[in-house]
Amino acid sequence: MNVELQINNSTTAATRFVTWAPSPCRIRVTNPSGATPPAVNVKLTGVSAASAGAVVFRQGTTGPFSDSLTLPVPVNGTSVRFFVAGKFGRPSVNNEDVTIEARDGTTLVGSIRLMVRIRKDANKLTPGERDRFISALAQLNNQGAGRFADFRDMHTDAGDLEAHGGPGFLPWHRVYLLDLERELQAIDPSVSLPYWRFDKAAPNIFTREFVGVSDNIGTVQFSPTNPLQFWKTDGVQGINRRPHFDTASEHPDLLTEAQTLARGTLFRQFREMQGNPHGTAHIHFGGSIANIDTAAKDPLFFMLHCNVDRLWAKWQRAVGRFNSLQASSYDTRPTNRIGHRLDNTMWPWNGITGGQRPPTAPGGTMAPSPCVAAPGLQPKVQDSLDYQGSINAVACMGFDYDDVKFA
Amino acid sequence: MTKKSKAAKSQKSASKKQGAEKKPSLTFSMVANSQGTVSQRVDALTEKPLAAVKSDKNLQSVLKVLRNEKEPLKVRLAALQTLQAASFSVDVFEQSRGDYIATLREIVDDPDPELRQRVLGILAREKDGYAQQKLIEGLQHPEKQLVPPEKALQLLSYDVHANSYAVAREVVSKPPNEVARREALRLLAADASSAPLFEKILRDKDELAENRQIAASALHALKPEKLQENAREILLDKTEYKEIKATSLTALAQFGDEDEIRKDKALLKSVDRMSEEGTTKVKQTARRFLSKYER
Repeated sequence: MNVELQINNSTTAATRFVTWAPSPCRIRVTNPSGATPPAVNVKLTGVSAASAGAVVFRQGTTGPFSDSLTLPVPVNGTSVRFFVAGKFGRPSVNNEDVTIEARDGTTLVGSIRLMVRIRKDANKLTPGERDRFISALAQLNNQGAGRFADFRDMHTDAGDLEAHGGPGFLPWHRVYLLDLERELQAIDPSVSLPYWRFDKAAPNIFTREFVGVSDNIGTVQFSPTNPLQFWKTDGVQGINRRPHFDTASEHPDLLTEAQTLARGTLFRQFREMQGNPHGTAHIHFGGSIANIDTAAKDPLFFMLHCNVDRLWAKWQRAVGRFNSLQASSYDTRPTNRIGHRLDNTMWPWNGITGGQRPPTAPGGTMAPSPCVAAPGLQPKVQDSLDYQGSINAVACMGFDYDDVKFA
Repeated sequence: MTKKSKAAKSQKSASKKQGAEKKPSLTFSMVANSQGTVSQRVDALTEKPLAAVKSDKNLQSVLKVLRNEKEPLKVRLAALQTLQAASFSVDVFEQSRGDYIATLREIVDDPDPELRQRVLGILAREKDGYAQQKLIEGLQHPEKQLVPPEKALQLLSYDVHANSYAVAREVVSKPPNEVARREALRLLAADASSAPLFEKILRDKDELAENRQIAASALHALKPEKLQENAREILLDKTEYKEIKATSLTALAQFGDEDEIRKDKALLKSVDRMSEEGTTKVKQTARRFLSKYER
């Protein structure tokens, strides 16, 4: 007998990625020889090395997860639904470092390899994770000629009111980062965006092997094997970044994570973090990252914003702010400009130009994911809130942070 | 600042921030209070950057501190940082932008070099024509320099155009120092008429490895077929420096034409040698490169 396992309801390798949120899966008998009708009990278990990812299972949309799951699977080939999630605290290090084994008794009847793909602290990445990330980023930039140019063009003064002009600041950047991450995953599916925890010293990030080391005038230096040495934006080679703190042992002087999370239980209060720690993190450097118009020229910018998004995610989890129908989850003042109201589509993914929107819309629609449908090609502000699918499973956006649980 | 002192400062700051917060107006009365300590005034400025621009009174008080050469430098730098942080909240900051930029232009020739450099950096990133003119004047007439020539060239790279190309070419031919020459080359990387210059630099083993790497990358943009051709030649050249060979290998691994490389037995053999020699990182890169071609 043989069974087929489908992750994210698909047989393709591109969908074999899970997060802490439950992914819909299926199992069916493809070769019934030797099996006794009407059904056979198949036990599913995750197998992996201690340092690799790990998964948990549940049969329905609710209830606790467990390390294994036994399912009656009809031998006539009818699919049976179940859910897989990453085991919190056990993200993958490499692609396909977890195997789900299906056994009938002690006989292995099917297996599938997958990855628990999670956004991690950039300071704690393994050399392999770091190298895959910067390699994908360098290829996306392709020395200024690649798709990265769109992401650089989205985050300029031309679109600053869309990205920074109201409460949509956090939703806009969440979607922006996810769009970039999906483009990176199209190059290397094992990559996820790492975050720079700017309230802690991060000596492993500011190295010649990672985001580079700044010289006296702020020109960033790389090792000869680092592909970011070919980084180019706006026709000019290199990265300008001049830290105003010792990157080897210090961190910017800004609100800590605990202080940021304690800003208040209403989104209207929490979003003041746009000034401190967000703005404050930006201006602890001279160089391109210190201005809106030029910030996206520096790869570090994406890791800074990944931490901003993580803080929002952590706050959402702590105070339960995923439901866009609850006023406390967002700032719903009617005076908010267009692009910042819950039911507004977001620029540039909506392609709308002119009038109250910017004159151009670089980049086209949102990159789709083979694993999840949300937030759609033209996301609305409200689509960004329930990123784990806590309220509505189909809202799950397919990313998670290493220290933010699903529930 | 040591880790210990940073932690102590953070703890002090944390306990202060977790306590009852002062109203912005009270906080900002401390900003302009010359009787306050430097530390008190810096804290008042940095604690809530958005408060600096939520009223015109607060804004004018911060700008006044920034302009005043008699104020302690730490307080002036904190004033600048506060306004920079607030500028990331466009909806709140927009009404203050005009006064902010005007004040920055006023102090581009401030006596303090650190403040001057930071202010010119902000204006250069705003593509401010006045600042660009000052930077070019400083490169053409050293007595008018506001920042070192290498810094001026780096700042001009935020908005490259014909005037900055002309001055960068002059620096390449008569460099005041090696760093200035490097920055001039970086600035010229998008200038089509500089392609012959980059070809010459790339093949010149007496050039600094860093300049040759800039030349390789510039040529790839200006004449795309040149990267692969030159990187290949460098990898096959047994007399080449290890650093430039590593750079060439990385370039081919990331951006090379896979079909061409697959057919190139001499190149693959040369990379095979690199996978056995050199630093650990070079060996890893070479092995990853070879695994792509199933070797």
